[in-house]
Amino acid sequence: MVVRERRRSGRRVLGILLALVLAGLLAVVLTREIGGRSATVTVSGVVGSEKLPFFADPDVKKVFADNGIELKIDPAGSRRIATTVDLAAYDFAFPSSAPAADKLLAAHPAVRTYAPFSSPMAVATFRPIADLLTAAGVVRGNTFDVRRYLELTRAGTRWDQLPGNTAFPARRNVLLSTTEPCQSNSAAMYLGIASYAANGDAVVADPAAGAAVLPTVGGLFRDQGYLPSSSEVLFEDYLAAGMGRVPMAMVYEAQYLAEELAPRPALQPGTVLLYPSPTVFSRHTLVPLTPRGDRIGELLTTNPELVRLAAAHGFRTQDPRQLADIVAARGLPPLPQLVDVVEPPTYDTLEGLLRGLGCPA
Amino acid sequence: MSGVRRIVLLLALALLAAGCTSAPEGTTLRVLAGSELADMVPILEEAARATGVRVQLDQVGTLDGAEQVTSGAAAATHDAVWFSSNRYLALQPGAQARIGTATEIMSSPVVLGLRRSVAQRLGWVGRPVTWAEIAAAAGRTEFTYGMTDPSASNSGFSTVVAVSTALAGTGAALTTAQAASTAPALRDYFSAQVLSAGSSGWLQDAFVRRTTGADPGPHVDGLMNYESVLVALNASGRLPEPLEIISPADGVVTAEYPFTVLAGASEQVRDAVRRLTDHLRTPDVQRAIAERTSRRPAVPGVPQTLGPAPVELPFPARAEVVDTLLTSWFDKVRRPSRTIYVLDVSGSMGEQDRIGRLRASLTGLTGGDPGSASRYRRFRGREEVTLLPFSDRPGTPDTVTVPQDDPSPGLTRIAADAAGLRPGGQTAIYDALDSAYAVAARQITADPDRFTSIVLMTDGANNTGRDLADFTAGQGARAPALKAVPIFPILFADSDTGEMEQLATLTGGRTFDARRLPLDQVFQEIRGYV
Repeated sequence: MVVRERRRSGRRVLGILLALVLAGLLAVVLTREIGGRSATVTVSGVVGSEKLPFFADPDVKKVFADNGIELKIDPAGSRRIATTVDLAAYDFAFPSSAPAADKLLAAHPAVRTYAPFSSPMAVATFRPIADLLTAAGVVRGNTFDVRRYLELTRAGTRWDQLPGNTAFPARRNVLLSTTEPCQSNSAAMYLGIASYAANGDAVVADPAAGAAVLPTVGGLFRDQGYLPSSSEVLFEDYLAAGMGRVPMAMVYEAQYLAEELAPRPALQPGTVLLYPSPTVFSRHTLVPLTPRGDRIGELLTTNPELVRLAAAHGFRTQDPRQLADIVAARGLPPLPQLVDVVEPPTYDTLEGLLRGLGCPA
Repeated sequence: MSGVRRIVLLLALALLAAGCTSAPEGTTLRVLAGSELADMVPILEEAARATGVRVQLDQVGTLDGAEQVTSGAAAATHDAVWFSSNRYLALQPGAQARIGTATEIMSSPVVLGLRRSVAQRLGWVGRPVTWAEIAAAAGRTEFTYGMTDPSASNSGFSTVVAVSTALAGTGAALTTAQAASTAPALRDYFSAQVLSAGSSGWLQDAFVRRTTGADPGPHVDGLMNYESVLVALNASGRLPEPLEIISPADGVVTAEYPFTVLAGASEQVRDAVRRLTDHLRTPDVQRAIAERTSRRPAVPGVPQTLGPAPVELPFPARAEVVDTLLTSWFDKVRRPSRTIYVLDVSGSMGEQDRIGRLRASLTGLTGGDPGSASRYRRFRGREEVTLLPFSDRPGTPDTVTVPQDDPSPGLTRIAADAAGLRPGGQTAIYDALDSAYAVAARQITADPDRFTSIVLMTDGANNTGRDLADFTAGQGARAPALKAVPIFPILFADSDTGEMEQLATLTGGRTFDARRLPLDQVFQEIRGYV
């Protein structure tokens, strides 16, 4: 539906004839060109939004360009990628978790998938909020205790009901800001974390256990009301709008680290990163849909420069030293050893929980 | 290789000449957008020079726009939508499958702008104020304000959500039961509304005309609108007194302006949208948006000159909650309205089934398609509706007060009145309007606390009885409460456009053009103003 500028229409007939003749020639030329190294092919992918800044990085684009590839990237929530996005337009899909990739694979069998990097879920917040939560017994050091947090939310506690709270007396429930769980992977990972804690420290593995935790975990999303559809939007709101709009948000560690590692970090003064206990690792998994898409997965996994750039964007790559070195080189405190790491539920169990939250099939 | 390159270049030229390739400099995106985005036109023109992507903005109200997206009508005529918010849209069944990537460009919270002297009198300058305090002052009629119709415009809609959520006081998104609330504090807040409009632009202009005394009508102390609109109004030099911007401490609802490509868009369109939004999100353009439109940048790292973002209230995420909220607001919470429909049934109305279209338009307001936004435009609970047909002389007015809980008996009677309209005779417009003011005088005396307006529908020029000069002379002698009653003339068939415009200006109303749009649609549009 693009309305194109029309050149002088008197030339159109001649133009069409010329085009037909030359189109044949072009076919021959292109066939030769693609085989050679100098040609650039366009490869399009649909990716979880939190990876957009990585793909938009000029250094990343350059590595792909050096390999004869121009990438066209559209962002979309991981569950949408796995269900409603029309994948015919894309060479690869790059959702943010193994369960979402599993779902994709069922409909689009690929010879192999690629998991070039991962990132644990984390809580991006602000010092006054971290202090309030420390006083309330939810936060210790940089650990966010999910079990204590669930006790607060079960009671429907509002910020202005926390004792001695003058820093953020909002008439709003104490709730982690999340994305829309029906669409976005980071919220689904959070659902994995919360359901584990609500299930007596065990991965929810069957419908009965799922039904039992729903009253506790349902409110974590429902009471927030309308939610942003992607992690990128949520994290941007946290960065740009700040505490009033997003006092604390469930994000990927990589989003926060990428900002800290940026040449000019856009973090406001007093931002803090906490790690939930337990937490879940989000394993970003690329599913090729065409041979060109497969090439992207291969490059991301094996090209040393791309691996280094992924770490510079805060992702934990297959060799943990990559990120640790970059963090140390910037003079940032070393990343904590995460011990309380749990697995997300399987795709079917997660899907059952999401249906329980009211997500459409 | 040079030969090859030349062939490729030639081919590109040939394809260009044939008009079957997308030259980047020649892309125009057709975008369905909220009316307040008109202030983005200069920035979009600069973006077109920088990116080659031009944007054609077609204005639509939020709820109507959402309906066009979900029905698929939008995709037939447009490439993208750019509403103040996708929240209402996202609640509609099937909406997700109709939209593609959404990119936030900027934001602006809906807040209260209040004349500084009034804000000072109320003690609201330089300290946090809560919605409960604002509602209490409104209930004591310590100030008045204008807002848009929540079924027609996002700023009014956001106001209803914010006030209802804050006053429910639970800290969580509204439930259906809370959305049905008719708590006294809610009624208090909305009792102070003295100006309504179907569009944010007309509301601002009417506010300026009222505060400068250019329009008759009760004075208005404030406006519920986007922060950006209020800041711009203060900077415009049109106000005798600046507006104090009051962002309630317990929270606001913010518009975040997602530029949203429609599903099924071609790769060319998606590419053009990507180039445009990338450009709009560069730090320089974000700064320009902040400076020139007073909206808040969406991109982190660009300075927030308007101060920290206010606390955001949870926005209901379920369609039935929003439906309940709006239905309850229209039928039970808002200040009820009183409208006198002055309807031309002269002989010429018998031509081209004009009378049939009039009957159908009125009947349409007694029902409303339950699945569409038009259901919010029907005659509402507690509304006082008078039909006053006229030809050689004014006919007998029939007044119906629509019952709050079961509106159907009232609606049935209005439909029967409409069905009984018969054409014949001359056109005595001003005699009929005098008669309408006499009806209004009686009704206002009996019950002063209503929005009172006159809608005039005529298909021709005045040809008997008093004329406009007589009417204008008589207007000066009317009581202040009557002078404040605006006339909303509908331009139809052979209406005298000049006289109708004068009538609207004289009384603080506006005209609606039913020669350009179907009559039933115009009758619905007017509902946002009465």
